[in-house]
Amino acid sequence: MKKVLLLLSLFIVVIMSAKAEITAHIDTGKAAAAPAPAPPDPPLVISGSVDTYWKYDFSGHANIPTSFASDQNSVSIGMIDLGLKKTVGKASFVGELSFGPRGQYQSVPNGDGSAANGNNSFHIQNLYINYNVTDKFSLAAGYMSTFIGYEVISPTGNFNYSTSYLFTSGPFENAGFKATYAFSDKVSLMAGIFNDNWNVYTSARDVSTFGAQLTVTPVKNWTAYLNVATGPTSGTIFDLTTAYQITDAFKLGLNGATFTPAHGGGGYDGIALYPQLAVSKVVTFGLRGEYFETKAIGTTPKSNITAITATANIKTGPLTFIPEVRFDNGKNQIFTDSNGAPTKSASQFLLAAVYAF
Amino acid sequence: MALLQNQLHNFCWPQYTHSKKNIKITMISRSLFRERLYLYIMKRILIIAVCLLFTVSVHAQAPVLALDEHNKYIYYEVVDLPGISADSLNKNSAYFTREEYPKNKSVQISNTSAVIRDKFLTYASFVKHENGEIHYILNIECKDSKYRYWLTDFVFTPYQRDRYGVFVPVTGINIQLENASSKIDKKELAGYLDQTTIFCTQLREKLKKYMAEGEKTKKLEQPPVKKIVTDKW
Repeated sequence: MKKVLLLLSLFIVVIMSAKAEITAHIDTGKAAAAPAPAPPDPPLVISGSVDTYWKYDFSGHANIPTSFASDQNSVSIGMIDLGLKKTVGKASFVGELSFGPRGQYQSVPNGDGSAANGNNSFHIQNLYINYNVTDKFSLAAGYMSTFIGYEVISPTGNFNYSTSYLFTSGPFENAGFKATYAFSDKVSLMAGIFNDNWNVYTSARDVSTFGAQLTVTPVKNWTAYLNVATGPTSGTIFDLTTAYQITDAFKLGLNGATFTPAHGGGGYDGIALYPQLAVSKVVTFGLRGEYFETKAIGTTPKSNITAITATANIKTGPLTFIPEVRFDNGKNQIFTDSNGAPTKSASQFLLAAVYAF
Repeated sequence: MALLQNQLHNFCWPQYTHSKKNIKITMISRSLFRERLYLYIMKRILIIAVCLLFTVSVHAQAPVLALDEHNKYIYYEVVDLPGISADSLNKNSAYFTREEYPKNKSVQISNTSAVIRDKFLTYASFVKHENGEIHYILNIECKDSKYRYWLTDFVFTPYQRDRYGVFVPVTGINIQLENASSKIDKKELAGYLDQTTIFCTQLREKLKKYMAEGEKTKKLEQPPVKKIVTDKW
Protein backbone atom coordinates (compact mmCIF):
# COMPACT_ATOMS: atom_id res chain seq x y z
CA MET A 1 0.00 0.00 0.00
CA LYS A 2 2.88 2.31 0.83
CA LYS A 3 4.37 1.63 -2.55
CA VAL A 4 1.07 2.27 -4.24
CA LEU A 5 0.69 5.61 -2.51
CA LEU A 6 4.24 6.61 -3.27
CA LEU A 7 3.80 5.64 -6.90
CA LEU A 8 0.51 7.51 -7.02
CA SER A 9 2.13 10.68 -5.64
CA LEU A 10 4.94 10.38 -8.14
CA PHE A 11 2.46 9.78 -10.94
CA ILE A 12 0.43 12.88 -10.07
CA VAL A 13 3.53 15.07 -9.90
CA VAL A 14 4.81 13.72 -13.24
CA ILE A 15 1.41 14.15 -14.90
CA MET A 16 1.03 17.71 -13.62
CA SER A 17 4.48 18.77 -14.73
CA ALA A 18 4.11 17.03 -18.10
CA LYS A 19 0.72 18.65 -18.60
CA ALA A 20 2.18 22.08 -17.87
CA GLU A 21 4.91 21.45 -20.42
CA ILE A 22 2.48 20.23 -23.08
CA THR A 23 0.17 23.20 -22.49
CA ALA A 24 3.06 25.59 -22.93
CA HIS A 25 4.01 23.84 -26.14
CA ILE A 26 0.48 23.90 -27.56
CA ASP A 27 -0.08 27.49 -26.55
CA THR A 28 2.97 28.82 -28.27
CA GLY A 29 2.58 26.45 -31.14
CA LYS A 30 6.37 26.17 -31.27
CA ALA A 31 9.21 25.98 -28.82
CA ALA A 32 8.81 28.72 -26.25
CA ALA A 33 11.20 31.23 -27.81
CA ALA A 34 10.01 31.19 -31.39
CA PRO A 35 8.08 34.30 -32.28
CA ALA A 36 7.29 35.05 -35.91
CA PRO A 37 8.29 31.71 -37.34
CA ALA A 38 7.64 31.04 -40.99
CA PRO A 39 4.09 29.64 -41.11
CA PRO A 40 4.17 25.89 -41.65
CA ASP A 41 2.87 24.52 -44.92
CA PRO A 42 -0.72 23.36 -44.57
CA PRO A 43 -1.22 19.61 -44.45
CA LEU A 44 -2.55 17.53 -47.31
CA VAL A 45 -6.15 18.64 -47.65
CA ILE A 46 -8.72 15.97 -48.39
CA SER A 47 -12.24 16.94 -49.35
CA GLY A 48 -15.09 15.75 -51.46
CA SER A 49 -18.71 14.76 -51.63
CA VAL A 50 -21.15 11.94 -52.16
CA ASP A 51 -24.58 12.36 -53.73
CA THR A 52 -27.60 10.25 -54.50
CA TYR A 53 -31.09 11.05 -55.82
CA TRP A 54 -34.52 9.86 -56.84
CA LYS A 55 -36.32 11.51 -59.71
CA TYR A 56 -39.82 11.18 -61.09
CA ASP A 57 -40.76 12.78 -64.39
CA PHE A 58 -44.55 13.21 -64.52
CA SER A 59 -44.66 11.86 -68.06
CA GLY A 60 -43.54 8.51 -66.66
CA HIS A 61 -40.25 8.55 -68.51
CA ALA A 62 -37.10 10.65 -68.54
CA ASN A 63 -37.79 13.78 -70.56
CA ILE A 64 -35.71 16.81 -69.61
CA PRO A 65 -32.36 16.59 -71.39
CA THR A 66 -30.12 18.61 -69.09
CA SER A 67 -27.08 17.08 -67.39
CA PHE A 68 -27.22 14.68 -64.44
CA ALA A 69 -30.23 13.48 -62.40
CA SER A 70 -31.26 11.62 -65.54
CA ASP A 71 -32.66 8.32 -64.22
CA GLN A 72 -36.45 7.97 -64.08
CA ASN A 73 -38.08 6.55 -60.94
CA SER A 74 -34.85 5.10 -59.66
CA VAL A 75 -32.78 5.62 -56.56
CA SER A 76 -29.59 6.46 -58.39
CA ILE A 77 -26.12 7.64 -57.62
CA GLY A 78 -24.43 10.83 -58.65
CA MET A 79 -20.79 10.38 -57.78
CA ILE A 80 -18.22 10.12 -55.08
CA ASP A 81 -15.85 12.98 -55.51
CA LEU A 82 -12.41 12.91 -53.86
CA GLY A 83 -10.18 15.95 -53.90
CA LEU A 84 -6.61 16.31 -52.71
CA LYS A 85 -4.71 19.55 -52.33
CA LYS A 86 -1.23 20.17 -51.06
CA THR A 87 0.72 23.39 -50.81
CA VAL A 88 4.42 23.61 -50.17
CA GLY A 89 5.75 27.15 -50.21
CA LYS A 90 4.46 28.83 -53.34
CA ALA A 91 3.60 25.66 -55.21
CA SER A 92 0.44 23.64 -54.88
CA PHE A 93 -1.43 20.93 -56.67
CA VAL A 94 -5.06 19.90 -56.82
CA GLY A 95 -6.12 16.42 -57.84
CA GLU A 96 -9.84 15.65 -57.91
CA LEU A 97 -11.17 12.27 -58.89
CA SER A 98 -14.80 11.34 -59.38
CA PHE A 99 -16.48 7.98 -59.61
CA GLY A 100 -20.08 7.46 -60.69
CA PRO A 101 -22.24 8.58 -63.62
CA ARG A 102 -22.08 12.27 -62.72
CA GLY A 103 -18.32 12.17 -62.43
CA GLN A 104 -17.60 9.89 -65.37
CA TYR A 105 -19.51 9.48 -68.63
CA GLN A 106 -21.95 12.28 -67.84
CA SER A 107 -19.23 14.90 -67.43
CA VAL A 108 -15.70 13.85 -68.33
CA PRO A 109 -14.39 11.67 -71.15
CA ASN A 110 -13.00 8.20 -70.84
CA GLY A 111 -9.39 7.95 -71.87
CA ASP A 112 -7.65 10.40 -74.13
CA GLY A 113 -10.08 10.22 -77.02
CA SER A 114 -8.33 7.41 -78.88
CA ALA A 115 -10.27 4.22 -79.54
CA ALA A 116 -7.58 2.16 -77.83
CA ASN A 117 -8.21 4.03 -74.58
CA GLY A 118 -11.98 4.06 -74.86
CA ASN A 119 -12.36 1.83 -71.83
CA ASN A 120 -9.81 3.65 -69.69
CA SER A 121 -11.57 6.18 -67.54
CA PHE A 122 -9.27 8.74 -66.01
CA HIS A 123 -11.92 10.03 -63.56
CA ILE A 124 -10.28 13.47 -63.48
CA GLN A 125 -12.29 16.55 -62.51
CA ASN A 126 -9.30 18.70 -61.64
CA LEU A 127 -5.64 17.95 -62.07
CA TYR A 128 -3.43 20.99 -62.10
CA ILE A 129 -0.39 22.59 -60.57
CA ASN A 130 -0.41 26.15 -59.34
CA TYR A 131 2.50 28.45 -58.58
CA ASN A 132 2.08 31.75 -56.77
CA VAL A 133 4.81 33.92 -58.25
CA THR A 134 3.80 36.73 -55.90
CA ASP A 135 0.84 37.41 -53.65
CA LYS A 136 -0.92 38.92 -56.66
CA PHE A 137 0.32 36.84 -59.56
CA SER A 138 -0.16 33.11 -60.03
CA LEU A 139 0.29 30.54 -62.77
CA ALA A 140 -1.60 27.29 -63.23
CA ALA A 141 -1.45 24.45 -65.71
CA GLY A 142 -3.37 21.22 -66.14
CA TYR A 143 -6.93 19.98 -66.56
CA MET A 144 -9.29 22.32 -64.75
CA SER A 145 -12.98 22.93 -64.27
CA THR A 146 -14.08 25.55 -66.72
CA PHE A 147 -14.09 29.19 -65.74
CA ILE A 148 -17.27 29.66 -67.81
CA GLY A 149 -20.75 29.60 -66.30
CA TYR A 150 -22.64 29.68 -63.03
CA GLU A 151 -23.18 26.00 -62.34
CA VAL A 152 -20.55 23.32 -61.87
CA ILE A 153 -20.26 19.53 -62.02
CA SER A 154 -19.92 19.01 -58.27
CA PRO A 155 -23.34 18.99 -56.57
CA THR A 156 -21.86 20.85 -53.59
CA GLY A 157 -21.17 23.84 -55.83
CA ASN A 158 -24.77 24.18 -57.04
CA PHE A 159 -27.93 25.19 -55.24
CA ASN A 160 -30.23 23.30 -57.62
CA TYR A 161 -29.61 19.61 -58.11
CA SER A 162 -30.75 19.46 -61.73
CA THR A 163 -28.79 21.66 -64.08
CA SER A 164 -29.54 24.43 -66.52
CA TYR A 165 -29.49 24.30 -70.31
CA LEU A 166 -26.70 26.88 -70.20
CA PHE A 167 -24.58 24.56 -68.07
CA THR A 168 -25.35 21.51 -70.19
CA SER A 169 -24.51 23.31 -73.42
CA GLY A 170 -21.38 25.09 -72.21
CA PRO A 171 -17.92 23.75 -71.40
CA PHE A 172 -17.34 21.56 -68.32
CA GLU A 173 -13.57 21.45 -68.40
CA ASN A 174 -10.70 23.32 -70.00
CA ALA A 175 -7.17 21.91 -70.13
CA GLY A 176 -4.50 24.54 -70.51
CA PHE A 177 -2.21 27.09 -68.98
CA LYS A 178 -3.40 30.29 -67.33
CA ALA A 179 -2.02 33.30 -65.49
CA THR A 180 -3.99 35.34 -62.97
CA TYR A 181 -3.13 38.81 -61.73
CA ALA A 182 -4.98 40.64 -58.96
CA PHE A 183 -4.86 44.37 -59.59
CA SER A 184 -6.61 45.03 -56.30
CA ASP A 185 -9.10 43.43 -53.94
CA LYS A 186 -11.78 44.42 -56.44
CA VAL A 187 -10.31 43.62 -59.83
CA SER A 188 -8.38 40.65 -61.17
CA LEU A 189 -7.72 39.24 -64.61
CA MET A 190 -7.09 35.70 -65.74
CA ALA A 191 -5.82 34.95 -69.23
CA GLY A 192 -4.75 31.64 -70.64
CA ILE A 193 -4.34 29.35 -73.57
CA PHE A 194 -6.28 26.11 -73.61
CA ASN A 195 -6.67 22.95 -75.71
CA ASP A 196 -8.46 23.33 -79.04
CA ASN A 197 -11.60 21.54 -77.77
CA TRP A 198 -13.53 21.76 -74.53
CA ASN A 199 -13.81 18.74 -72.23
CA VAL A 200 -10.81 16.78 -73.50
CA TYR A 201 -7.74 15.47 -71.77
CA THR A 202 -5.78 15.71 -75.01
CA SER A 203 -6.05 18.27 -77.80
CA ALA A 204 -7.08 17.08 -81.25
CA ARG A 205 -4.46 19.23 -82.93
CA ASP A 206 -3.18 22.17 -80.89
CA VAL A 207 -3.58 24.47 -77.93
CA SER A 208 -5.53 27.22 -79.61
CA THR A 209 -8.42 28.32 -77.42
CA PHE A 210 -7.82 31.67 -75.81
CA GLY A 211 -9.63 32.20 -72.51
CA ALA A 212 -9.93 35.18 -70.22
CA GLN A 213 -11.86 36.08 -67.11
CA LEU A 214 -12.21 39.57 -65.68
CA THR A 215 -13.35 39.45 -62.06
CA VAL A 216 -14.88 42.61 -60.64
CA THR A 217 -16.28 43.32 -57.20
CA PRO A 218 -18.23 46.54 -57.74
CA VAL A 219 -19.57 46.66 -54.20
CA LYS A 220 -19.14 44.54 -51.12
CA ASN A 221 -20.78 41.12 -51.48
CA TRP A 222 -21.24 41.46 -55.23
CA THR A 223 -18.87 39.69 -57.60
CA ALA A 224 -19.10 39.56 -61.38
CA TYR A 225 -17.11 37.44 -63.83
CA LEU A 226 -16.86 38.44 -67.47
CA ASN A 227 -15.64 35.43 -69.42
CA VAL A 228 -14.60 34.68 -72.93
CA ALA A 229 -13.27 31.54 -74.60
CA THR A 230 -12.54 31.62 -78.29
CA GLY A 231 -10.68 29.41 -80.72
CA PRO A 232 -10.71 28.21 -84.33
CA THR A 233 -11.93 24.77 -83.24
CA SER A 234 -13.96 25.38 -80.09
CA GLY A 235 -15.86 28.45 -81.26
CA THR A 236 -16.54 31.54 -79.23
CA ILE A 237 -18.44 31.90 -75.99
CA PHE A 238 -19.04 35.10 -74.06
CA ASP A 239 -20.37 34.59 -70.56
CA LEU A 240 -21.40 36.77 -67.63
CA THR A 241 -21.67 35.13 -64.23
CA THR A 242 -22.51 37.19 -61.20
CA ALA A 243 -23.85 36.78 -57.67
CA TYR A 244 -24.89 39.42 -55.17
CA GLN A 245 -25.58 38.61 -51.52
CA ILE A 246 -27.96 41.52 -51.06
CA THR A 247 -28.85 40.79 -47.43
CA ASP A 248 -27.82 38.09 -44.98
CA ALA A 249 -30.79 36.05 -46.17
CA PHE A 250 -31.22 37.01 -49.82
CA LYS A 251 -28.88 36.25 -52.69
CA LEU A 252 -29.37 36.90 -56.36
CA GLY A 253 -27.33 35.18 -59.06
CA LEU A 254 -27.33 35.66 -62.79
CA ASN A 255 -25.78 33.88 -65.73
CA GLY A 256 -25.92 34.95 -69.34
CA ALA A 257 -24.04 33.48 -72.28
CA THR A 258 -23.88 33.50 -76.04
CA PHE A 259 -22.09 30.83 -78.04
CA THR A 260 -21.18 30.63 -81.70
CA PRO A 261 -19.52 27.49 -83.04
CA ALA A 262 -16.39 27.86 -85.15
CA HIS A 263 -18.00 26.28 -88.20
CA GLY A 264 -21.45 25.50 -89.52
CA GLY A 265 -23.57 28.06 -87.71
CA GLY A 266 -25.95 27.47 -84.87
CA GLY A 267 -25.04 28.02 -81.24
CA TYR A 268 -27.18 29.40 -78.45
CA ASP A 269 -28.01 32.35 -76.22
CA GLY A 270 -29.38 32.10 -72.74
CA ILE A 271 -29.96 33.77 -69.45
CA ALA A 272 -30.71 32.34 -66.02
CA LEU A 273 -31.67 34.06 -62.80
CA TYR A 274 -31.05 32.48 -59.36
CA PRO A 275 -32.85 34.16 -56.43
CA GLN A 276 -32.33 32.41 -53.07
CA LEU A 277 -33.84 33.15 -49.68
CA ALA A 278 -32.61 31.66 -46.40
CA VAL A 279 -35.62 31.33 -44.12
CA SER A 280 -33.70 29.76 -41.25
CA LYS A 281 -30.23 28.43 -40.52
CA VAL A 282 -31.42 25.08 -41.85
CA VAL A 283 -33.68 25.88 -44.79
CA THR A 284 -33.07 27.97 -47.90
CA PHE A 285 -35.49 28.26 -50.80
CA GLY A 286 -34.35 29.09 -54.28
CA LEU A 287 -35.66 29.49 -57.81
CA ARG A 288 -33.94 29.15 -61.14
CA GLY A 289 -35.64 30.83 -64.02
CA GLU A 290 -33.98 30.20 -67.36
CA TYR A 291 -34.58 31.26 -70.92
CA PHE A 292 -32.54 29.34 -73.45
CA GLU A 293 -32.58 29.85 -77.19
CA THR A 294 -30.91 27.82 -79.90
CA LYS A 295 -29.79 29.81 -82.91
CA ALA A 296 -30.98 28.98 -86.40
CA ILE A 297 -28.83 26.53 -88.29
CA GLY A 298 -29.37 25.74 -91.96
CA THR A 299 -33.07 25.29 -92.52
CA THR A 300 -33.75 24.71 -88.84
CA PRO A 301 -35.17 27.87 -87.28
CA LYS A 302 -34.24 29.03 -83.88
CA SER A 303 -36.13 27.65 -80.90
CA ASN A 304 -36.34 28.28 -77.22
CA ILE A 305 -37.13 26.78 -73.83
CA THR A 306 -38.21 28.38 -70.60
CA ALA A 307 -37.49 26.43 -67.42
CA ILE A 308 -38.53 27.18 -63.86
CA THR A 309 -36.98 25.17 -61.03
CA ALA A 310 -38.00 25.53 -57.40
CA THR A 311 -35.50 24.04 -54.95
CA ALA A 312 -35.05 23.83 -51.21
CA ASN A 313 -31.76 23.16 -49.45
CA ILE A 314 -32.26 21.61 -46.04
CA LYS A 315 -28.95 21.42 -44.26
CA THR A 316 -28.00 19.37 -41.26
CA GLY A 317 -24.27 19.60 -40.71
CA PRO A 318 -22.47 18.31 -43.80
CA LEU A 319 -25.63 16.76 -45.23
CA THR A 320 -27.99 18.64 -47.54
CA PHE A 321 -31.40 17.35 -48.60
CA ILE A 322 -32.59 18.84 -51.87
CA PRO A 323 -36.26 18.52 -52.81
CA GLU A 324 -36.86 20.09 -56.19
CA VAL A 325 -39.66 20.54 -58.67
CA ARG A 326 -39.06 21.66 -62.25
CA PHE A 327 -41.25 22.81 -65.14
CA ASP A 328 -39.85 23.18 -68.64
CA ASN A 329 -41.76 24.69 -71.53
CA GLY A 330 -40.47 24.68 -75.08
CA LYS A 331 -41.50 26.76 -78.08
CA ASN A 332 -41.66 23.55 -80.07
CA GLN A 333 -42.86 20.09 -79.11
CA ILE A 334 -39.53 18.81 -77.90
CA PHE A 335 -40.79 16.63 -75.04
CA THR A 336 -43.12 13.65 -74.94
CA ASP A 337 -46.13 13.08 -72.73
CA SER A 338 -47.15 9.92 -70.87
CA ASN A 339 -48.46 8.40 -74.13
CA GLY A 340 -45.25 9.16 -75.95
CA ALA A 341 -46.86 11.96 -78.00
CA PRO A 342 -44.87 15.15 -78.64
CA THR A 343 -45.59 17.98 -76.24
CA LYS A 344 -44.23 21.37 -75.40
CA SER A 345 -43.87 20.88 -71.65
CA ALA A 346 -42.28 18.57 -69.14
CA SER A 347 -42.15 18.50 -65.38
CA GLN A 348 -40.34 16.47 -62.77
CA PHE A 349 -39.79 16.10 -59.05
CA LEU A 350 -36.58 14.95 -57.46
CA LEU A 351 -35.19 14.41 -54.03
CA ALA A 352 -31.42 14.39 -53.61
CA ALA A 353 -29.04 14.01 -50.71
CA VAL A 354 -25.55 15.48 -50.88
CA TYR A 355 -22.91 14.88 -48.23
CA ALA A 356 -19.86 17.13 -48.32
CA PHE A 357 -16.63 16.53 -46.44
CA MET B 1 -3.92 18.95 16.23
CA ALA B 2 -6.48 17.73 18.75
CA LEU B 3 -8.59 16.50 15.88
CA LEU B 4 -5.61 14.63 14.46
CA GLN B 5 -4.86 13.02 17.88
CA ASN B 6 -8.49 12.01 18.23
CA GLN B 7 -8.44 10.43 14.79
CA LEU B 8 -5.19 8.65 15.56
CA HIS B 9 -6.72 7.24 18.76
CA ASN B 10 -9.70 5.93 16.83
CA PHE B 11 -7.30 4.48 14.39
CA CYS B 12 -5.35 2.39 16.91
CA TRP B 13 -8.12 1.50 19.35
CA PRO B 14 -9.08 -1.84 17.72
CA GLN B 15 -5.41 -2.91 17.73
CA TYR B 16 -5.14 -2.45 21.55
CA THR B 17 -8.31 -4.47 22.02
CA HIS B 18 -6.68 -7.30 20.22
CA SER B 19 -3.47 -6.89 22.18
CA LYS B 20 -5.25 -7.66 25.44
CA LYS B 21 -5.73 -11.24 24.23
CA ASN B 22 -2.37 -12.03 22.73
CA ILE B 23 1.12 -10.45 22.98
CA LYS B 24 2.05 -11.58 19.49
CA ILE B 25 -1.02 -10.02 18.08
CA THR B 26 -0.15 -6.85 19.98
CA MET B 27 3.26 -6.73 18.36
CA ILE B 28 1.72 -7.15 14.91
CA SER B 29 -0.91 -4.59 15.73
CA ARG B 30 1.74 -2.04 16.67
CA SER B 31 3.49 -2.53 13.37
CA LEU B 32 0.11 -2.31 11.67
CA PHE B 33 -0.58 0.83 13.64
CA ARG B 34 2.66 2.41 12.45
CA GLU B 35 1.86 1.45 8.91
CA ARG B 36 -1.64 2.84 9.08
CA LEU B 37 -0.34 6.02 10.66
CA TYR B 38 2.10 6.34 7.83
CA LEU B 39 -0.64 5.75 5.26
CA TYR B 40 -2.89 8.25 6.99
CA ILE B 41 -0.21 10.95 6.87
CA MET B 42 0.64 10.13 3.26
CA LYS B 43 -2.99 10.46 2.26
CA ARG B 44 -3.23 13.88 3.89
CA ILE B 45 0.01 15.00 2.16
CA LEU B 46 -1.36 13.77 -1.15
CA ILE B 47 -4.63 15.69 -0.73
CA ILE B 48 -2.77 18.86 0.22
CA ALA B 49 -0.37 18.44 -2.73
CA VAL B 50 -3.24 17.98 -5.18
CA CYS B 51 -5.04 21.03 -3.74
CA LEU B 52 -1.86 23.11 -4.06
CA LEU B 53 -1.23 22.00 -7.64
CA PHE B 54 -4.86 22.72 -8.54
CA THR B 55 -4.60 26.22 -7.01
CA VAL B 56 -1.39 26.92 -8.90
CA SER B 57 -2.87 25.72 -12.19
CA VAL B 58 -6.00 27.85 -11.64
CA HIS B 59 -3.81 30.91 -11.04
CA ALA B 60 -1.78 30.24 -14.20
CA GLN B 61 -4.85 29.77 -16.37
CA ALA B 62 -5.24 31.89 -19.49
CA PRO B 63 -8.32 34.06 -19.85
CA VAL B 64 -11.38 32.58 -21.50
CA LEU B 65 -13.67 33.95 -24.15
CA ALA B 66 -16.23 36.11 -22.35
CA LEU B 67 -18.94 38.63 -23.21
CA ASP B 68 -18.24 42.34 -22.74
CA GLU B 69 -20.68 45.07 -21.70
CA HIS B 70 -21.98 45.22 -25.30
CA ASN B 71 -22.58 41.47 -25.33
CA LYS B 72 -19.73 40.89 -27.76
CA TYR B 73 -17.23 38.11 -27.36
CA ILE B 74 -13.98 39.36 -25.88
CA TYR B 75 -10.67 37.79 -24.86
CA TYR B 76 -9.27 40.23 -22.33
CA GLU B 77 -6.28 40.33 -20.01
CA VAL B 78 -4.29 42.85 -18.02
CA VAL B 79 -0.67 41.78 -17.61
CA ASP B 80 1.68 43.22 -15.01
CA LEU B 81 5.29 43.75 -16.02
CA PRO B 82 6.85 45.52 -13.03
CA GLY B 83 9.73 47.84 -13.82
CA ILE B 84 9.07 48.31 -17.53
CA SER B 85 8.03 51.80 -18.58
CA ALA B 86 5.02 52.54 -20.77
CA ASP B 87 7.38 53.83 -23.44
CA SER B 88 9.31 50.54 -23.56
CA LEU B 89 6.09 48.54 -23.61
CA ASN B 90 4.82 50.60 -26.52
CA LYS B 91 8.03 49.91 -28.41
CA ASN B 92 7.67 46.22 -27.68
CA SER B 93 4.07 46.33 -28.83
CA ALA B 94 5.08 48.05 -32.09
CA TYR B 95 7.81 45.43 -32.57
CA PHE B 96 5.25 42.69 -32.02
CA THR B 97 2.95 44.09 -34.71
CA ARG B 98 5.84 44.53 -37.16
CA GLU B 99 7.04 40.97 -36.66
CA GLU B 100 3.71 39.18 -36.42
CA TYR B 101 1.70 41.24 -38.93
CA PRO B 102 4.37 42.28 -41.46
CA LYS B 103 2.00 42.59 -44.43
CA ASN B 104 -1.04 43.86 -42.58
CA LYS B 105 -2.01 47.32 -43.78
CA SER B 106 -4.69 47.82 -41.15
CA VAL B 107 -2.26 48.17 -38.25
CA GLN B 108 -2.73 51.46 -36.38
CA ILE B 109 -0.08 52.37 -33.84
CA SER B 110 -0.24 55.41 -31.57
CA ASN B 111 1.89 56.46 -28.61
CA THR B 112 -0.09 54.34 -26.18
CA SER B 113 -1.88 51.72 -28.18
CA ALA B 114 -2.02 49.46 -31.21
CA VAL B 115 -5.03 48.25 -33.15
CA ILE B 116 -4.77 45.37 -35.61
CA ARG B 117 -7.48 43.88 -37.82
CA ASP B 118 -6.71 40.39 -39.02
CA LYS B 119 -8.18 36.93 -39.43
CA PHE B 120 -7.41 33.28 -38.78
CA LEU B 121 -8.61 30.12 -40.45
CA THR B 122 -10.88 27.52 -38.92
CA TYR B 123 -10.72 23.87 -39.83
CA ALA B 124 -13.22 21.06 -40.24
CA SER B 125 -12.83 18.27 -37.75
CA PHE B 126 -13.66 15.25 -39.92
CA VAL B 127 -11.02 15.90 -42.55
CA LYS B 128 -8.47 18.62 -42.12
CA HIS B 129 -9.41 21.45 -44.45
CA GLU B 130 -10.29 25.09 -44.06
CA ASN B 131 -13.99 25.58 -43.43
CA GLY B 132 -14.02 29.26 -42.61
CA GLU B 133 -12.18 32.30 -41.42
CA ILE B 134 -12.73 34.48 -38.36
CA HIS B 135 -11.90 38.16 -38.54
CA TYR B 136 -10.98 39.91 -35.31
CA ILE B 137 -9.63 43.15 -33.90
CA LEU B 138 -6.68 43.06 -31.52
CA ASN B 139 -6.17 46.05 -29.24
CA ILE B 140 -3.06 46.61 -27.10
CA GLU B 141 -2.72 49.44 -24.59
CA CYS B 142 0.30 50.14 -22.41
CA LYS B 143 0.95 51.93 -19.13
CA ASP B 144 3.93 51.95 -16.80
CA SER B 145 4.55 48.41 -15.51
CA LYS B 146 1.53 46.88 -17.22
CA TYR B 147 -0.29 46.44 -20.46
CA ARG B 148 -3.67 45.14 -21.48
CA TYR B 149 -4.86 43.57 -24.66
CA TRP B 150 -8.15 42.31 -25.95
CA LEU B 151 -9.43 40.54 -29.01
CA THR B 152 -12.98 41.25 -30.06
CA ASP B 153 -15.33 41.79 -33.03
CA PHE B 154 -15.11 38.17 -34.10
CA VAL B 155 -16.83 37.74 -37.46
CA PHE B 156 -17.10 34.33 -39.09
CA THR B 157 -17.14 33.77 -42.87
CA PRO B 158 -17.74 30.19 -44.02
CA TYR B 159 -15.67 28.64 -46.79
CA GLN B 160 -16.91 26.54 -49.66
CA ARG B 161 -15.05 24.49 -52.20
CA ASP B 162 -14.93 26.25 -55.54
CA ARG B 163 -14.88 24.68 -59.00
CA TYR B 164 -11.11 24.32 -58.87
CA GLY B 165 -11.17 22.24 -55.69
CA VAL B 166 -9.96 25.09 -53.50
CA PHE B 167 -11.72 26.32 -50.36
CA VAL B 168 -12.63 30.01 -50.63
CA PRO B 169 -14.78 32.41 -48.56
CA VAL B 170 -18.49 32.51 -49.35
CA THR B 171 -19.13 36.00 -50.65
CA GLY B 172 -21.40 38.11 -48.51
CA ILE B 173 -21.76 35.80 -45.51
CA ASN B 174 -20.30 37.52 -42.45
CA ILE B 175 -21.64 36.30 -39.11
CA GLN B 176 -20.88 37.96 -35.77
CA LEU B 177 -19.92 35.10 -33.46
CA GLU B 178 -22.22 36.34 -30.68
CA ASN B 179 -25.18 36.21 -33.11
CA ALA B 180 -24.12 32.98 -34.73
CA SER B 181 -26.39 30.63 -32.81
CA SER B 182 -29.30 31.62 -35.04
CA LYS B 183 -27.28 31.01 -38.19
CA ILE B 184 -24.88 28.15 -37.49
CA ASP B 185 -25.46 24.66 -36.20
CA LYS B 186 -24.86 24.42 -32.43
CA LYS B 187 -22.11 21.81 -32.67
CA GLU B 188 -20.34 23.69 -35.48
CA LEU B 189 -20.49 26.91 -33.50
CA ALA B 190 -18.99 25.21 -30.45
CA GLY B 191 -16.10 24.12 -32.68
CA TYR B 192 -15.53 27.67 -33.94
CA LEU B 193 -15.60 29.05 -30.40
CA ASP B 194 -13.08 26.43 -29.28
CA GLN B 195 -10.80 27.29 -32.18
CA THR B 196 -11.15 30.99 -31.36
CA THR B 197 -10.08 30.36 -27.76
CA ILE B 198 -7.09 28.29 -28.90
CA PHE B 199 -6.06 31.01 -31.34
CA CYS B 200 -6.37 33.73 -28.68
CA THR B 201 -4.34 31.67 -26.21
CA GLN B 202 -1.58 31.14 -28.76
CA LEU B 203 -1.54 34.86 -29.56
CA ARG B 204 -1.42 35.64 -25.84
CA GLU B 205 1.72 33.56 -25.41
CA LYS B 206 3.43 35.26 -28.35
CA LEU B 207 2.44 38.70 -27.13
CA LYS B 208 3.68 37.94 -23.62
CA LYS B 209 7.07 37.02 -25.00
CA TYR B 210 7.34 40.15 -27.12
CA MET B 211 6.11 42.49 -24.40
CA ALA B 212 8.55 41.08 -21.85
CA GLU B 213 11.58 40.88 -24.11
CA GLY B 214 10.96 43.37 -26.93
CA GLU B 215 13.56 43.32 -29.65
CA LYS B 216 15.64 40.86 -27.66
CA THR B 217 13.09 38.29 -28.71
CA LYS B 218 15.03 36.32 -31.25
CA LYS B 219 13.77 33.83 -33.69
CA LEU B 220 14.61 30.31 -32.73
CA GLU B 221 17.84 29.35 -34.36
CA GLN B 222 18.59 25.84 -35.47
CA PRO B 223 20.79 24.18 -32.85
CA PRO B 224 24.28 23.55 -34.21
CA VAL B 225 24.79 20.07 -35.57
CA LYS B 226 26.77 18.01 -33.11
CA LYS B 227 30.10 16.78 -34.42
CA ILE B 228 31.19 13.26 -33.71
CA VAL B 229 34.74 12.07 -34.20
CA THR B 230 34.72 8.46 -35.33
CA ASP B 231 38.42 7.78 -35.72
CA LYS B 232 38.98 7.58 -31.96
CA TRP B 233 36.95 5.24 -29.86
